[in-house]
Amino acid sequence: MSRRYDSRTTIFSPEGRLYQVEYAQEAISMAGTAIGILSTEGVVLACEKKVTSKLLDDDGSAEKLYIINDQMLCAVAGMTADASILVNNARVAAQRYLKTYNEQIPCEMLINKVCDIKQGYTQHGGLRPFGVSFLYAGYDDRYQFQLFTSNPSGNYSGWKATSIGANNSAAQTLLKKDYKDEISLKEACELAIKVLSKTMDASNINSEKLEFATLSLSSKEEGKIIQKIWNDKEIDLLIKTTGVLNDKSTGDE
Amino acid sequence: MSDPFSLNGGAAIAMIGKDCIAIASDLRLGQQSLGVSNNFDKIVEINSKNFLALTGLATDVLTLKELIKFKTNLYKLREERDIEPSTLANLISSSLYEKRFGPWFISPIVGGLSKKDNKPFICGFDSIGCIDYSNDFIVSGTATDQLYGMCESLYEPNLNPEDLFETISQALLNAVDRDALSGWGAVVYIITKDKIVKRVLKTRQD
Amino acid sequence: MDIILGIRVSDATLIATSKAATRSISILKDDDDKTRELNKHNLIAFTGESGDTTQFAEYVQANIQLYSMRENDIELSPKATASFIRNQLATSIRSRKPYQVNCLIGGYDTKTGKPSLNWIDYLGTQVELPYGAHGYAAFYTTSLLDKHYREKMSIDDGLKLMDMCIDELNKRMPIDFKGVYIKVVDKDGIRLIK
Repeated sequence: MSRRYDSRTTIFSPEGRLYQVEYAQEAISMAGTAIGILSTEGVVLACEKKVTSKLLDDDGSAEKLYIINDQMLCAVAGMTADASILVNNARVAAQRYLKTYNEQIPCEMLINKVCDIKQGYTQHGGLRPFGVSFLYAGYDDRYQFQLFTSNPSGNYSGWKATSIGANNSAAQTLLKKDYKDEISLKEACELAIKVLSKTMDASNINSEKLEFATLSLSSKEEGKIIQKIWNDKEIDLLIKTTGVLNDKSTGDE
Repeated sequence: MSDPFSLNGGAAIAMIGKDCIAIASDLRLGQQSLGVSNNFDKIVEINSKNFLALTGLATDVLTLKELIKFKTNLYKLREERDIEPSTLANLISSSLYEKRFGPWFISPIVGGLSKKDNKPFICGFDSIGCIDYSNDFIVSGTATDQLYGMCESLYEPNLNPEDLFETISQALLNAVDRDALSGWGAVVYIITKDKIVKRVLKTRQD
Repeated sequence: MDIILGIRVSDATLIATSKAATRSISILKDDDDKTRELNKHNLIAFTGESGDTTQFAEYVQANIQLYSMRENDIELSPKATASFIRNQLATSIRSRKPYQVNCLIGGYDTKTGKPSLNWIDYLGTQVELPYGAHGYAAFYTTSLLDKHYREKMSIDDGLKLMDMCIDELNKRMPIDFKGVYIKVVDKDGIRLIK
């Protein structure tokens, strides 16, 4: 029965569902996990890299983390090709706002713009929805640090800690258990590693399978936002200090 | 009188030194003979090694500041690196030529150091984007004639940052003092491989 | 020629606009208000081509109010407001029929707690100034303001300086401009002084 409604993104099924949108979300739930945690001092984004091969010619730049403007970062789960279209859109929109108002675009306004595009593809005929969910880490002078997610339907919501992609419900259960309101950025980073180490399929966690980024305020220059996409060495060091590897190895023995 | 290039007034200059460059401008904004502001910045920092100075019609100075910032910010995000000075020059050139039959009434100057070897680079443009490369100095604005005179007599190659600052400052100050439409304060940026020094100059306030 | 004049003092911005609405050799009105409230803390004062002025001011007013409606009643800051208006005028100047409107934006930034005065002409030239005027009023008043303006003036000091300027204009301007409205923009919003 549902087959009749499957191929059309714009048509509701008799049960009131939009199958193509649900399928897009299904595709994302198989993509690498991405976790976002909001702390008082900043936001951390951590993602799992699904395809790693030693033959892959890696230019060192992040695959699933994108800088949107001077105060926003995002992590992607789903189809990278679709994501780059939306990321480009977001970057241009941010610069256009900066050009007309000489101020940085408020985070929620930018997310809203991206989501309007996503929503359009669930309603206009003949096209498929974007196969991506985003985690946005941002800062603005209205609400300081913020964490948002958006999905292919064009819905978005704000969070203290959340995850998208594979095993996201497991990750969220873990986050719900361990998140506390007064968490520091360092603790948030450690929590992200801890949660990822448990939700990832791979047995041992290392920098090859991880991407990590933080957004924080500069201690030197007032009001300056620091966006940091971590390099392999820094990620490995964090994994080591978190101690998730030791837990694993003792468990194996 | 109704020349858009000299409605608001203003002057800018760039010079090459030894492994460094200097770029400077005055701070006046006027409406013909009437001075409106003595704090109108004509220099934009594109990134830590490249600067853009704009003289001419003030509305277009602001528009181009915004436009070039827009383009270079996107360039940085997409390329994941800062723009090179020669690339910036070509970007500005094509942005200006885009308006070939209804140009922006401005004369930009680019000054910077290349990322790899810190090679100094300066150039100027006409209002429709013709690049004027130089290995000594570039001037623009309503005090162009005076600036040329000062540069021809004061400039010498391979100056160190401190001497270059002195040379560019004297060239600018003495040129704008002979131009009714520029002056009212000045800013000088000295760009070397590891730092930028910004100096605001007190000048005659008449 | 209409008078619009602005002075920024330590915690407010003062705006004076002439009451006369003139057309050719006649004064049509002696209680014309050449200002519009853009939002609670931003006031635009304007002069120029008569049809264009109100049309333009009300157009930007509508846009700035629309912004607040969309953004949960968050107000556009004075800097953003001025930039937006500048952009409208800079686009307009290269259109088939440009708006011939010069304006001053008196604003108070509730985030930083700072007042500001933005001077924008019909070309889209924008500057943040301590004091400023458009048209002939600028020629008569700038020298007075240069001499008597001080950083850290109170609203009363500002109003006194404003009165000096108005007296000078009354003395030197060849036609009666029917006095001025003086408005203050500060942390409490916009209010008419006289």
